[in-house]
This record gives sequence, C-alpha cells and structure tokens, in this order.
Amino acid sequence: MKKVGFYQGCCFQGPDAHMFDTLKKVFADLDVDIKLIEKTTCCGGNTIDEANKFLVYSINARNIALAEAEGLDLLVTCNTCYMVLAKTKHALDTDPQLREEINKLLAEEGLEYKGTSKLWHILPFLLEEVGLEKLKERVKRPLKGWKIATYYGCHIKYPKEVAVVDSEDPQGLEELIEALGGEPIKDYEGANTCCGYHAFYTNKEVALKKVVRAPEGAKKAGAEMLVTPCPLCFKAQDIYQDMAENKPNVPSVYLPELLAYALGYDAKESGLSYHIIPVEKISVKAGAI
Amino acid sequence: MTVEKAVLKVYRYNPEKDEKPYYREYEVPVDQAQTLLDALFYIQENLDPSLSFRFFCRAAVCGSCAMKVNGISRLACKTPFKPLVERSKGKPITVEPLNFLAPIKDLVVDHDKPFESLKNLETWLEPKKPVPEKEYRVSPEEVKSYERPTNCILCFACYGSCEAVMDDPKYAGPYAFSRVYRYVLDSRNDEEHKKEMVKRAMEVGDIWGCVQCQKCIYVCPKGVRPAEDIQNVRGIAAEYGFKEYPGVKKLQHFVDWVYATGQINRLALPEEVYGVDPTPLINKFKERGAEVWEVPKPLPGLIEFRDLILEVMKEKKPHLDIDFHHVRKIDKKVEEVFNADVCTKITQHFEEKKEDFFTRFWKKVSQFLGAS
Repeated sequence: MKKVGFYQGCCFQGPDAHMFDTLKKVFADLDVDIKLIEKTTCCGGNTIDEANKFLVYSINARNIALAEAEGLDLLVTCNTCYMVLAKTKHALDTDPQLREEINKLLAEEGLEYKGTSKLWHILPFLLEEVGLEKLKERVKRPLKGWKIATYYGCHIKYPKEVAVVDSEDPQGLEELIEALGGEPIKDYEGANTCCGYHAFYTNKEVALKKVVRAPEGAKKAGAEMLVTPCPLCFKAQDIYQDMAENKPNVPSVYLPELLAYALGYDAKESGLSYHIIPVEKISVKAGAI
Repeated sequence: MTVEKAVLKVYRYNPEKDEKPYYREYEVPVDQAQTLLDALFYIQENLDPSLSFRFFCRAAVCGSCAMKVNGISRLACKTPFKPLVERSKGKPITVEPLNFLAPIKDLVVDHDKPFESLKNLETWLEPKKPVPEKEYRVSPEEVKSYERPTNCILCFACYGSCEAVMDDPKYAGPYAFSRVYRYVLDSRNDEEHKKEMVKRAMEVGDIWGCVQCQKCIYVCPKGVRPAEDIQNVRGIAAEYGFKEYPGVKKLQHFVDWVYATGQINRLALPEEVYGVDPTPLINKFKERGAEVWEVPKPLPGLIEFRDLILEVMKEKKPHLDIDFHHVRKIDKKVEEVFNADVCTKITQHFEEKKEDFFTRFWKKVSQFLGAS
C-alpha cells in the first residue's frame, strides 16, 4: 500500500467535515494510505499574502516540513492550497537565503524545510500514482449516462512555474470521468473562465457575475453537472451560483465526491446529497448499486 | 520537396466597410517565418496587403504587437512560429485582436482606455518634500524591489486576458495596479500622493474586483506579476487604514482566525465581512443532513504555530496586524464549542510541557505588543 501525507487545508470544516473520513476510505480502496499531517494549518488562502508574503512562505514551509519530518510526500486536494504551497516550495527551492531565514524560524519547533517532499495535487496523483486502470477496476457504480462538464479551475493552470496541467490545454479530468463510466464534456463556452470564488469577499458583484459563466456554458453544451478538482470552485459553483441572478442551476461536484460515489459510497458519504444545488442524478438513482 | 504550410485563421474587421467581423484563412510556409509577426508580414507582403496589425520594435520592447493567439494573449514578435504550428496539431492558428479593447481595424485595437486609466489612477511621482538640493538618493535594494513592475511595457496582454476586466466595468486592469505598486514603493514619492494612488486604485480602478486567477502572470511577456502586485497594494491599503472595504475585513479575518485556530472559518466570513447572518445557509446544509462544525477543530501544535507567526511578524512587519481583541473572542467561541479551555484543548498533545508553553506564549505576546 502506497503511503502519502495528507494536507487538509480549510476544505474539511463547516459542512464538509465528513469529507476527510470518506477520502481516507476511498484512497484505501485504491491501495493508498493517506496519512493526515495533523499539525498542518491553513495555507493563507492566497489572502494572507496581502498582509505579508514572508508569513505565507513561513507557514507553508512549516506545512511542507511537517510532511518531510514524517518522510512523506504531501497530497493536496485544493487548487488554491496547491498553488500557494507550490509557490512557497518554488521560492524556497530557488532562493537559498530565504530558505535559511525561514529554517531559522522553523528550528524552534524542531523542523527544517529540506525540499525532499513532493507536493501532489489530487488530479495528477490520481492519474500517475493510482492510474486509470486501477480506477476502472475498482468502480462499483459506473456513472453511466452522466454528462459531466470538466472544469479545471485556475490555480492548477497558472502561474506556469507551479502548473500541474498544460495551462492552455489541460488534460486528465476527461480520462478520469471516462474511467468512472461517465461522459465528459470539454471545450464548452466558459470552461476556461474563473469561478469567481476569491472575489466573493472582496467584490461580491464581480464574483456573482463570474460564477455563472461556466455553468451557463456547460448547460448549453448539454451537461448535467460540472466536475472540478478544486473544493473552492465547487463551493462557488454550489453556494454562490445559487445566489446569482439568472442562475443556470447546474449542479457542480467536487472530484473526490464523484470518485467516492462511483466507488460505491452512498449519496451521504460521498457528500453529493448535501449540495445547495441538488445533484439530481443521485436522487433518482440513490441506493441503486 | 514540398514546404510545410500552416493555416492562419485571422480576424478581419474594418468598421468603416464591414457590417461585422469575419475570419479569413491564409497559408504561410513555415520556413518563411521565425515568429508569428514574420508570418503576418508574409501575409501582408504576399497574400493580402489589406491586413492591419500594429508593430514597431520586433523585439518585445515596445509592446505594440500584443494579440490573441489561439485564445491566449501574446506578443506576435515573441511567439516563435514553428512551435506554435506544432502545438496547433494541424488545426488553423487563430489570430484575433486583444479582448475588451475597442476595434480600430483587424488586429489593431484602441489603447486609449487603458492609458486613460493610468492617468485616472495618477500613477506617477509627486516629488517628496523637501526636494533635496541635489538628486534624490535611491538605494540599489529599493530599485530591485520594484524592478519587476518597472519592466511592464504596456502591451495590455494582461488586460486582454483579465477575468475582472471581463465582468467589472470599473476595473482598471492588472498592468495599472503593477504601476501603482511600483510608484508606492518609490521613496522619492510624496507620502500623501502614495495614499491618493492607493485610494484611487480602490475607488476609481476597483482593485478589489481582482479574482486572483493568475492569468495576468501567465500571459505577461516581461515576467511582471500583476496578481501579486495587486495583493501588495491591497495590503498597503489595509496598512493605510482603509478598514471599511470588504477586502480588508476579509484579510483581517484570515490573519486573526489563522493565528487563533490555524484555520480560517468559512462560516464566520459572511458575518465578519458583510454583517450577514450565516444561519440560513448553515440551516440549508443541516436540512440536507450535513453535520456542520461551527468552528474549525483546534489543531494540535497550535501554540508553536502561534509562536511562529509572532516571530515572523516581528521580523517582517505585516501590512495588517493581528487584532488580539478579535482573537480572544475567537478563543472564547472555540472554548464554548469544544467545552474546553482553548489552550489545554489545543495543547493536549503537549500536556506535560503545558507550563512552558504558557510562559513562552505570553512572553511572545507581550514582546509583540510592546514592539508594535
């Protein structure tokens, strides 16, 4: 069984507290032991950067160092957390002086950033470390006939030095959806548009305009839902889409939820039944394996 | 031997003659062009002299030839042709004018609007008083601090890719805020003028409309990082005391909650930023059967984490300080929800060293408060 450290970020709180337990089980089904690195904290959400970039580097050097202390790579299930952590890793790996300064601060806690742990975003992790063959093999409830628009989100595409997919032609989500038995829809209008999440608490009006663009395009292209590997895009498309004027009302699902459901977990455990914009596919088929 | 040819699908529009824009396809021999700009010259010289595009230096210095290539803003002169053809995998290469700017003809767009924004934001130096008898002295470190935003050539590639420009009519554009940042860092600039620029960045240019998608960083041909410059200007706005903006309240939330619990609290954000009661939303989740945690579960190792934050802030002063009054409220809330003293709960893994932690912690807090 492959073992990887797990970074929780702020994704598994509020109404999503159950998600970590589900993920743990789902990954075990895929022969991966995810070990929660308990002391890891919020990455700063690409917001604390406004107050102090050095603080963000320190917090995230600590987050990575905690995984390094256990000799594990770090798996991240959020685009923004990934970007912020990866920007820190990039800065520390390319600037020895910064690394030294930060390591002095981390020393008090007995930690050191060495640069030995790889950061994994969940999308490449599933593709490269788990593999499509194994996924296909372990699917218990194929998403047959589910028309799913793929939505990558921004922070795994840009900036270039931390991107995990081709910034101009991202790949991988479609193959994953096919492996789970669903029908991916790519290249719809708005597929490359930002979800607006990060503007909601800085300029709500802009966020509410942004959030409908991808769901609108997906709807026009005949999709029944969107899937995203980012919990923040998901929250925007679920909670904020519901607040928007002329909302297209297209449900959005977070990739791990879909994975859990296809692997046989029920609507509750997968989280799919808790959405503000209901995922109608499950209410029809609930319980039917 | 046949020469490999690539098809360019080029946007054409002459507002004086054409009712609406259309596309025309041209075949360009791949060996005739080093760059996309060369390919456009080839079209103009050999196939269609009526094609208009703007260019000047041909060396990524003047910023004239920014256009949209296969949907991405690029400088034509800095886009090698052969790799572009290879990436297009036999499909025509689409060449269009930059987004969001008024068309003049074909690939030429009107730059007046983004230039006007620079004027409106007053992105320049107002000499700091008293004006020295000789020249102002600027240290090499200072010059280095604004080297990156200074490299902007005003090509407006970022503007044409900007998600905020798309949906916020007031938004000035990424390049404009990089310029604001550059002049705010300049020690020769008058302090009042700096404040005025930051105020204008918010009120005239709507810097809080930025969605932080990072596309501007991706498309910039000069390595400017506008999304990060925007973060810095926002931080400076907080430091200047513009506390009434939602974005500053959001930042305060992040700083305080992360210090207090190691996490933000997404359920407290609506109240703290907009004064909106989150209960109806929480109830929606509860109705659907979800278990909702009102505050994040305290993380082990929190006291050391708090120490780290205080140490960092002592070394590099943040634009926004922790509001310890708020932190104490958060502590109280955490204590209520988890029915335990915040520090004993949090330090459960370090029970035997509890006293040391307390002593050290309060020493740090008082040091910090004393220093700030």
